[in-house]
Amino acid sequence: MNRPTGPITPATDPIAREEARWQQETRGPAMGDRPERRDPFVTQALKWPIKPLYTPADLDAIGFDYSADLGFPGEYPYTRSTRPNGHRTDFWTMTQVTGFGKGEDWAKRARYMLDQGLSGLILEYDLATTNGYDSDDPIVEGEVGRAGMALDSLEDLEKAFDLPFDKLRYLMSVCNAPQPVNLAMIIAALEKKGVDPKDFVLHIVNGILIEYTCVGRYIYPPEHGLRIATDCIEYIIRNHPNWAPISIISAQLQPAKANPVQEIAYSLAIACAYIDAVLERGLDIDTVAPYINHFVVNVDMDFFEGVCKLRAFRKCWARLMKERYGASKPEALKIRMMTSPTTIALTLQQPLNNIARLGIMATACALGGAGEAMTTPLYDEAHALPAENAIRVGAAIQHIVAHETGVAETIDPLAGSYYVETLTKQMEDAAFAEMEKVFAMGGALKAIETGYIQRALGREQYERNKDIEEGRRKWVGVNHLTREDEAREIEIFRLDEAMEEEQIRKVRDLRARRDQPAVDAALEKVRDAARTGANMVPPCLEAVKLYATHGEICNAMRDVFGVHSADSQLMGI
Amino acid sequence: MTTFKRPLRVLLAKLGMDTHTVGVTVIGHALREAGMEVIFTGLKQTPEMVCAAAVQEDVDVVGISTLSAGHTRSLPKLARLLREAGAGDKLLVAGGVIPEEDKPILEQAGVDRIFTMGSDTRDIVAYLESWWAQRLAEDAA
Repeated sequence: MNRPTGPITPATDPIAREEARWQQETRGPAMGDRPERRDPFVTQALKWPIKPLYTPADLDAIGFDYSADLGFPGEYPYTRSTRPNGHRTDFWTMTQVTGFGKGEDWAKRARYMLDQGLSGLILEYDLATTNGYDSDDPIVEGEVGRAGMALDSLEDLEKAFDLPFDKLRYLMSVCNAPQPVNLAMIIAALEKKGVDPKDFVLHIVNGILIEYTCVGRYIYPPEHGLRIATDCIEYIIRNHPNWAPISIISAQLQPAKANPVQEIAYSLAIACAYIDAVLERGLDIDTVAPYINHFVVNVDMDFFEGVCKLRAFRKCWARLMKERYGASKPEALKIRMMTSPTTIALTLQQPLNNIARLGIMATACALGGAGEAMTTPLYDEAHALPAENAIRVGAAIQHIVAHETGVAETIDPLAGSYYVETLTKQMEDAAFAEMEKVFAMGGALKAIETGYIQRALGREQYERNKDIEEGRRKWVGVNHLTREDEAREIEIFRLDEAMEEEQIRKVRDLRARRDQPAVDAALEKVRDAARTGANMVPPCLEAVKLYATHGEICNAMRDVFGVHSADSQLMGI
Repeated sequence: MTTFKRPLRVLLAKLGMDTHTVGVTVIGHALREAGMEVIFTGLKQTPEMVCAAAVQEDVDVVGISTLSAGHTRSLPKLARLLREAGAGDKLLVAGGVIPEEDKPILEQAGVDRIFTMGSDTRDIVAYLESWWAQRLAEDAA
């Protein structure tokens, strides 16, 4: 990856000359023989050199141009904000992702949350579901209903949707690999409830490509994963234009230790893979881009890396849409971001320290522009189930940043800082260079199929772990200010065997009483569509309505697509 | 520094549906940097699959990364399968989120060593190297 060696300061610049004089007459003598406390000073993730001082000469050296690099809020290239009035009209939407219990308890929990005045919910599924298995598959033993709701058939969703849909306006469904099946089940369940899809926003995350790079909840080989994700995007654009067909969860690359440049480059290259695939289906860029511009972005503890990343993200998206695709509509050129402090900065040790970390990271999010929404993790996240107190503090952190610090009272207040503009521009340039590298390989799909992205992340994971083990990065509670007497208790979910057995019994009972020949015929249509390249959503819809199970439909696609298995190369190990 | 007749061969694997790989990736790099041969099975493995891979690849060490609650079932099962396959002499180590109270159960079932969260990779390398040196010494004797 391209790493700047530090801006070259032209000696002819009067400020540069003054800086050289200051170095010789003031700073040098004052330092004397004492070494600096770090050698070298570098940013946390990128490890880019940090100069002792930034001046207008640095901006000259990188060719900083106010109009071209920043412009005005709500106008190209959107570096300062995608919102013409920043956060002076409204704050960002303050959200929180919390666990949702499991199985049929979800409806109860969702009703409670709607009663608290929330109008949007996030539905997460267990690992059996997201990996495309039914609850009674032996391979998922112990995972049923654990990480989210168990979803075997339309019956489960009918029970989960026992909700006041007059209050629920927005539902995000977090399911990637089996997305056509999941989308079909939700459409069928909404139909059964008599919900008008125009009055309701379904947002499917549908982010399969990132799963191959780090999270691992994939089923089929990447080309087929991309194809069925594209089917969902196309289906939604054509049939439910008010819905949201994808989120690029850059916030999954970040905990996998993507540095800010890799994060921008890989998540935008991945967005391009989806865009290219949808454009091939005969839609135009100004129609498509506003559907594929939703990103979730984490901010880590290096304050300036965080702020600059958010600023560079906005500009890189705008430039990419304009320069690569010739997009012209503002909706296509504007990225939509949900920002969040990262969980990987939080420690298991001395958990109250995490409140300070969250406050600092949330401030960086706000100073970087916050985006449409912000979500805050909880200070006891590393321990397991969040305590009520942690949930209250999590919500309060965003309100403290919003109402007490004044950081959102003017738009992009750090603009013009010699350091911030230098770092923002360096990130933009390096991200574009890395993106070009990926495009030269044939795009994100190829970079995933060859393991390039996985290996790049694997190296970062190893190097940054070494930084902590060898003490180059000080982390309070982990390798600095540690306490010997500290008990490191981890709460861990215990298997709820009764729940799992009940779910297994239910799905087996369903299979015994449905119209099996009709189900078999519907599954054959799923295989046909998989073979012919027809959109997968309609045959999945037909199958789920006949109560074909989630795992059966996923298996029908396995029959045609095969399964993805990753070796060391493809896992970056 | 100890020199070995041949590099230690290590199979790294993840059992079950849990797919978090940062830990296993860091370990893989650290072992390789220490001169060991590292083979990774990929994700979503059953104990049967891991046992078959361990035998086929003729590894010395089987390392399991687990962040899922299924470890009290899957690890003892893997230890039993390895013994049944005549591969009980391989070192079986596990790491990840493993509560203290589960450690005796796993150790009794045949897991040789458990490294919990926050373990230093240098300690893991040192442990494997000393086990290997001892094994070679026993073989030579």
